[in-house]
Amino acid sequence: MSGFSSLYLDTRLTILAGRLISFERLIEFISLDLEPLLSQVRQITGYHYDLDASDSNRIEIQLTNRALDDFLVLIRPFSGSERRFFNFAVRWFELVNLKVLIRGKFNGIESSRIQEQLIDLRGFADLPVRKLLETDDPYEMLRLLETTAYGGIVRHARRMYEEHGNDLFLLDATIDRGFFIDLHYHARFLLEEDMENIGRVLGGLLDRLNLLWLLRYRFSYGLSAAKSFYLLTKTGNRLHSADLMRLARTDSIEEAVAALPEPYRHLLANVSVISDMETVMEYYSLSIAARALHRQPNLLTRTFSYFLLREAEVRFLQALIKGKLLGFDTDLISRAVGALA
Amino acid sequence: MLSMPLTMKKASLYMVDVDAQAAAMALARLAVMHPLEAGDDDQALDAYPAAPYYAVYHDLDARFGKISGFVRSPFEATVDSTVLVTLDQLRDLDGQLKKLWARVSALEERIREQNERISAVRLLANSLQKFTSLDLDLGRLRRQGRFLRIAVGSLPSENFYQLKRALSLAHFMIKTFYTSEGIEHVVVFGPSQQRDVVQDLLNSADFRGLTIPEEFSGSPVELQADLNRQTGQAENRIREAEQELSSLIDDHRQTLQSAHDLLLQARPYASLATVLRGKGGLVFLQGWVPAGRVDEIRQQLEQYLNFAFHLEFSDPERQEFDSVPSLLQQSRLLKPFQGLVKTFGIPGYREVDPSGLFALSYVIMFGMMFGDIGHGAVIACASLILWRRYPGATIVGVLAGSSSTVFGFVYGSLFGYEHVVPALWMSPMNDPVQVLLLAVLWGAGFILVANLLAIRNFIAAGRIHEAVHSGKGVAGLLLYLAAFYAAYQVAVHGRFSWLEGLMIVLPLGMIVNFQWRQSSAGLAERILVVFIEGLEHVISNVSGTLSFLRVAAFSLNHIALAAAVFAIAGMLDSFGHGVTVVLGNVFIILLEGAIVAIQCLRLEYYEGFSRFFSGKGKAFEPLRFES
Repeated sequence: MSGFSSLYLDTRLTILAGRLISFERLIEFISLDLEPLLSQVRQITGYHYDLDASDSNRIEIQLTNRALDDFLVLIRPFSGSERRFFNFAVRWFELVNLKVLIRGKFNGIESSRIQEQLIDLRGFADLPVRKLLETDDPYEMLRLLETTAYGGIVRHARRMYEEHGNDLFLLDATIDRGFFIDLHYHARFLLEEDMENIGRVLGGLLDRLNLLWLLRYRFSYGLSAAKSFYLLTKTGNRLHSADLMRLARTDSIEEAVAALPEPYRHLLANVSVISDMETVMEYYSLSIAARALHRQPNLLTRTFSYFLLREAEVRFLQALIKGKLLGFDTDLISRAVGALA
Repeated sequence: MLSMPLTMKKASLYMVDVDAQAAAMALARLAVMHPLEAGDDDQALDAYPAAPYYAVYHDLDARFGKISGFVRSPFEATVDSTVLVTLDQLRDLDGQLKKLWARVSALEERIREQNERISAVRLLANSLQKFTSLDLDLGRLRRQGRFLRIAVGSLPSENFYQLKRALSLAHFMIKTFYTSEGIEHVVVFGPSQQRDVVQDLLNSADFRGLTIPEEFSGSPVELQADLNRQTGQAENRIREAEQELSSLIDDHRQTLQSAHDLLLQARPYASLATVLRGKGGLVFLQGWVPAGRVDEIRQQLEQYLNFAFHLEFSDPERQEFDSVPSLLQQSRLLKPFQGLVKTFGIPGYREVDPSGLFALSYVIMFGMMFGDIGHGAVIACASLILWRRYPGATIVGVLAGSSSTVFGFVYGSLFGYEHVVPALWMSPMNDPVQVLLLAVLWGAGFILVANLLAIRNFIAAGRIHEAVHSGKGVAGLLLYLAAFYAAYQVAVHGRFSWLEGLMIVLPLGMIVNFQWRQSSAGLAERILVVFIEGLEHVISNVSGTLSFLRVAAFSLNHIALAAAVFAIAGMLDSFGHGVTVVLGNVFIILLEGAIVAIQCLRLEYYEGFSRFFSGKGKAFEPLRFES
C-alpha cells in the first residue's frame, strides 16, 4: 500500500473508530426507552445513522448497510491477498443470510417473510437469493446452494442436519466452522508480519468459538469427546490442539473450566452456565480487538479489528432495538443481547 | 445523421377495476406504454389491485421456469391476446405445477444421491487399486476381530489432521497409504469397543469406507467387481430416474403448454403490480407513450374496455425529463451502432441520439487508420459470412471494410503493397507530418462537434446557464477555438499577441466564474477546486485533441507492419516468401484490425460521448406479452 493510501486509511480508521460506541455505553442503552436510545446512537456516532423508530426493519437494514458501506471504504486501499482476505471476511454477512435461508426453508417459513430478514449485500452478494427464495423445499434449496461458492460449507451442514436432526445451533456452528477455516486459510497468504498481528485478534475469536462449541457439543448435546473435538475450527491464541483435546476428555463444565489455561480459567472461574461464558468470552475477544484497533500500528490488523467491533455493535443494537420494539422488559433484553451486556 | 428519441406524452387512464386487465392487454398488444410508478401525490389511491395477481403469477412463473429446464423441445407461442386470464386460473395451474415440481424435485434428489454414491464408489475403487500393491489379505477386513476394528477408505485431505487428533481421543490410529488430488486413502484401526463413536466421527469427516462383501474370498479383483456392480446399480437408478422424469414431463406436456400460454397472457397485467393504483372500484394507470400513437391507443381501449374510461394525454414537464424513457428511432442500418451507443449509456429524453454521427465517424476513422484495398475487401467479405447469425456485426464489418477499401485507394495500398495501385492522394509514409496534422484537425473538428452537441443538450434540458458559461458550454467552445487559433499563430507566424491572450482569458474567466458560483465549499477549498477544475478543463481539451494523433499513427503503423512482413519475406525463397506474405497479411487483418476497431471505439467514447452525452436515459420498456 502506498504512503498516501496508508495515511488515508489511518485517518479513516481513526474517524470510524471514534464513532464506535463503547461497551459501557451499549450496556447503559439497555435501560433506555427507544427514542432516547436512538437519539444517543445518533449523537455518539456523529449522526452516522439516520435512525427512525417508526420502521424497525429499516433500522436493522440501515445499521447493516451503513456498516457495509464503511467496510467497503476501508478495504478499498487494499489489494492482492489483503484485499482477498477482507473480501472474504465481509462474506460473514452473507453467511448470516445463508443461515436465515436454510433455517427459514427447513422451518417452512414463507419466502416473503424470509426475504424480510435478509441483508441486502449489494456488490458483496454471491448468493442467488431470488432463486433460493423460489425453491419449494429445503432439499431443492440445498441442491442449488451446493452449486454456489458456499457449496462445501453447505454439504457439510447438510450432513450434520441429516445426522442430528433439525438443530439450529449445530447448523449455525457447522456453517461458522467452515467460514473460519476458510478465513484462516485466506490469512495464510498475508505477509508474515501481518499474519502474526492479525492472528492475535483472530486467535481471540477462534478461542472463544472453540471453547463454546466444545462445551456445547460435550455437555449440551452429549457428543463423544472425539466428535466434539473434530467439529471445532482452527485453533486460536491460547487454546491449542492439546488443550482442546484435554478439555474434550473432561466430564463436566466445572472440570473443563478448571482445565483451561490462563487467562480463561481466571475469567470463567465463577461462571457455570454456557450462555454466561459466551458473554464473558465475547467481551474478552472484543477487548483484544479494541486494544488492537487503538494501539496497533498495523493497518491490516486495525481494519480487521474494526470489522469485528463494528459487527458486534450492529448485532447488539439490532437485538436491543428489536427487543424495545417488541416491548420486552430490561431483563429479557439483557439476556437476549447476551454478549457484551 | 442526428436524431432525437421520439416525443412522448404522459397517458393517464382512469377506469373501473374490472377493466384493468383488458386495458393492460390492449396496451400490451400495441407495445406502446412504458408504465409509470405513481407519485406520492396519489395518496388517495392507496390500493394495488394487481399485486395479488402478480404474487400468484410470480410463483407460477418461477415453477414453470424450473420445470421447463427439463423440457427438451421448445413450447409454441399461442397467445390469444383477447382472452383474460383469471386469478383462479393462475392459482389452479400453479397448484398443478407445484405438485408436478414436487415429483420432479424428488427425482432430482434421487439422481443427486446416486451421483454422490458413484463418486464415493469411484474413490473406493481408487483406494482398492492402491491397496492391491500391499501384501495384505483383504478378507481379514471383513472378519473384524473381537478386539480390533479396522476400516479402509478415503477422506478429503483437509479433514485428515483434525480427524487424526480426534481419533486419538478414541484410542484409534489412522495411516495414509496413498494420497491423490486432495484425497487421503487411509487405514483406520483401534479397539472394537469404540466402534460406534468412531463410525460417527468418520461420517462427520466425510470418510468413505470400503465394505467387504460376505462372499469375498480375499481377491481384490472380486472386490473390484463388487464396486463395479455398485456403480452399475447406481447408474441404472439414475437412468431409471431420468426416464421417469422424462415421462413425467411428457405426460404433463399439455399442462406445461397451458402454463406457458397463460403466463404470456397474464404477463401484462401482472407487470402492473407496483404501478396500477386504485380505490373502491376505480383504478388509475399512468405511463409514457409515443406522441404519434395516441389516437391508436384511444381506439384500442375503446374497442376492448367494457365500461367508460377517462384517458388524457399531457406533455412532459421539464422537471420530468429525467424520468421520461427514450424510444430511439429505429433504422436497420444504425441498429448495431445503437447497440454500441447503449453500451455507453442510453440517450436522455431530450438528448441527441448520437448513433448516426457515431456510425459515420467510426467508419471514417476505421478507414483512415486501416486504409488498404485488399484488407478492407477481406473484412467486408468475411463479415458477410456472419450475416445469418450476427447481422449487426455484418453491417459494421461491411461498412468498416468498405471504408478501409476506399481509403486504400486514397493511400494507394493493396495488401501492404504501396506501388501497385496509384494513390488518389498519397501514401501516409510520403509525408507523415502532413498526415499527423490532418489527424489533429480531424480531432479538433470532432471535439468542436461534440462541444456543439453538449450546448444543444444543455439548452434542451433547460440548463441555459451551463450552456453558456460552463466548460462544456459556449465558454468552453470559445476557449477551445481561441486556444486553437493561438496555437496556429505561434506555429505559423511565431507570435502570441495580447489579442490571442485576451481571446483565451475571457472565456476561461467565464468558466472559472461559473465554477466559483457553483461551488459551495469554504474559501480555500473553493479556490483549490476552481483552480484544479479550470486546469483540468484546459488539459483535457489539449490531450483530447492530441489523442487523435493515433488516427495518423495507426495509418503509418499499418504500412510499417506491412513493410516488416515484406522484409521477413524477402529473406526467404519464393515459396517461403509467398507463405510469409499471406500469413503476414492475415496477421495484420486480425491483430491490427482488432486494435484499430477498439481504438476507434475508445476515441468515440472518451473524446466524443463523454463531452456531450450523459447516457443517463431510461430505456423504453413497454407493456408487452413476451419478456
